[in-house]
Amino acid sequence: MKNKRIFSKSLMALSLAGVLLAGCSSDGGSDEDKITVDVFQFKVEFKEQFEDLVAKYEKEHPDVNINVKTVGGGNDYGAAVKAAFAAGDEPDIFNVGGPSEVEQYRDYLTDLSDTAAAKAALPGTLDSVTDGEEILGLPFNQEGYGFIYNKKVFEKAGIDPSTLTTYDAFESAVKTLDSKKSELGIDAVFALAAKETWVIGNHLANAFIAPDFNHSVLEAYNSPTIEISKSNELKRMLDLQNEYSVQPVLSLDYSQQVEQLFSLEKVAMIKQGNWIYNTVYSMDPEFAEENIGIIPIPVEGYEGKLPVGVPMYWTVNKNAGDEVVAAAKDFLDWMYTSETGKEAVMNDFKFIPAYEGYDPAQIADPLSQEIYKYASEGNTIGWVFLGSPVGWQEESLAVNMQKYLSGEIDWDTAMDNAKSDWEKARK
Amino acid sequence: MKNKSLSFWLFLGPVLISLCVVVLVPLIYGFIFSFTDWTGLKGSNFIGLENYVDLFKDKEFLQSIWFTTKFAVVAIILLNVIGLGLALLVTRKLKSSNFLRTIFFMPNLIGGLILGFIWQFIFINVFDGVGKLLHMEWLSGWLSTTETGFWGLIILTVWQWAGYIMIIYIAYLEGVPQELIEAAEMDGANSFQRFRNVTFPLIRPAFTVCLFLTLSHSFKMYDQNLSLTAGGPFNSTQMVAMEIYKTAFNENLMAFAQSKAVIFFIIVAGIGLTQVYFNKKKEVDL
Repeated sequence: MKNKRIFSKSLMALSLAGVLLAGCSSDGGSDEDKITVDVFQFKVEFKEQFEDLVAKYEKEHPDVNINVKTVGGGNDYGAAVKAAFAAGDEPDIFNVGGPSEVEQYRDYLTDLSDTAAAKAALPGTLDSVTDGEEILGLPFNQEGYGFIYNKKVFEKAGIDPSTLTTYDAFESAVKTLDSKKSELGIDAVFALAAKETWVIGNHLANAFIAPDFNHSVLEAYNSPTIEISKSNELKRMLDLQNEYSVQPVLSLDYSQQVEQLFSLEKVAMIKQGNWIYNTVYSMDPEFAEENIGIIPIPVEGYEGKLPVGVPMYWTVNKNAGDEVVAAAKDFLDWMYTSETGKEAVMNDFKFIPAYEGYDPAQIADPLSQEIYKYASEGNTIGWVFLGSPVGWQEESLAVNMQKYLSGEIDWDTAMDNAKSDWEKARK
Repeated sequence: MKNKSLSFWLFLGPVLISLCVVVLVPLIYGFIFSFTDWTGLKGSNFIGLENYVDLFKDKEFLQSIWFTTKFAVVAIILLNVIGLGLALLVTRKLKSSNFLRTIFFMPNLIGGLILGFIWQFIFINVFDGVGKLLHMEWLSGWLSTTETGFWGLIILTVWQWAGYIMIIYIAYLEGVPQELIEAAEMDGANSFQRFRNVTFPLIRPAFTVCLFLTLSHSFKMYDQNLSLTAGGPFNSTQMVAMEIYKTAFNENLMAFAQSKAVIFFIIVAGIGLTQVYFNKKKEVDL
């Protein structure tokens, strides 16, 4: 890849020379002098709204032209960005997930610590993109998860969700719900989507692993070993959900869990996050607006705390040239700190903002509102799963948890396997 | 091919060049990458055979090869038996034979991903519903265990591909000269003997083709695997193609995945070519 860097550098030098020469000859102001910023982003859900906002920015800044390219979620995006870099078609603004991706793209990332957005970012949201003095990314938004419950069912069963902060209270509420299943008109208390490795491996496990690393994604990223000291708590929470869930859990997927079972009110609660809101809303708007709430997963010592984190960051490509970098920074600042931008972030993107200066009352949906409340009060558990070895949560931890659920291996073996995989990956 | 005039190369050129660019060059490139530690972005240090040594210690990979092999054996047998059976059925002089041919071929026209999701619904919801109605326990919980995942994949593949294999057998069955069969009948051969000793040797070329097709198809299957089970539960129904993809894109080990792909290529090519060689030898000419 060394040759490539030399090649791209010489290309950059040439194009810079070209810009300088052009600067000598032309008077400026024509269309060709526009600065073009290529954005390559991953969030399909807000593609249109984002493009609308970009159009507004271009109107306010006629000398800047922004091209947006969107490639859908998760792994596909990672592969597509990688392909773009490998092919020399580098985007100017792109997204990275956690410390491991920051490390991969380290040579390409611009320091963004001088932007207004970086200064406005809520405490903790910049941890995984900070390298010494440098801040290499800006948070997209915040997301949080816990047990999302059906308010009507809880009310009918006479359970006050705000009291379910400890495991014992939670367990007895689950048993009450289970004993009244037919009265309440539900099939089961939970729908545990154990087929989805991210549901059990990333999110559920994270709540119990985060204390091992002091809730710091960077600490997780630098740790050669993992202790899983709350292994027993994780086990009993998994067992509880499994025992009172619609069966079989190992073939239950996200869409069955959220659409068929929760939205159609066949289960009392599911472990999910605010991202399900739009899906629930499309199934039953009234139910989504009025009847769902979220409570934290009870973790000993962290009662009443909700796991909240930043799923993705904006980054600016260092090799883009000074002018483009400046324009890119200005655009990101404008999106998160100007009034127009703020309004779009909350009302159109329906984000939980990761920045100061937003009015929580304006946040679009009830789940996000509650999560923003937890986040701004500091009642959070860190998202450390972004700091684990690449693929470990899903391919090792979750797979071993699935093996345990199927009865293939016992819990201790499952945890030992996961621990040794972590150590192997960090060798 | 002694005639290597200019026009020969001119006509061959376009195809040859595109074949080189899209097949040969990437193949060679991939082979070279498998000896490095490339992650897709950085690192292209030459590390010799390390990837190849590691992959024989990779339990997931070996498990997926074993699963794929089991799958391929069962799928190849079932596909050919059922495909030939259907072909024999619709080449009889039935009134509905044209209609039946269309019906049997139809599943092949649906894309693999969609089929996977349709069958997922059937296995999980329809099977469960029927099972509860008839009190048949074994119909519940499909795709949640390794065995049901395996048979689910088999059923899906056979359902989708048997019609296609049938078409190939039909073509050869209809090419069998009627007079040979009549002659055998005159000699007192019963219908099984006629099939075993006259028809069967004459449709041998169809076996060569069909075995090769079903073999490479079942080894390389990815989309149905992804949409039906996604490798679950606990990656036990994960086939080789999916394992390689996950290594490359989820675990970010491009070069390691590439070395797995090279091994996979050698296995499939080896089995495929051996199979064609032996089958070719057994074919008879009229």
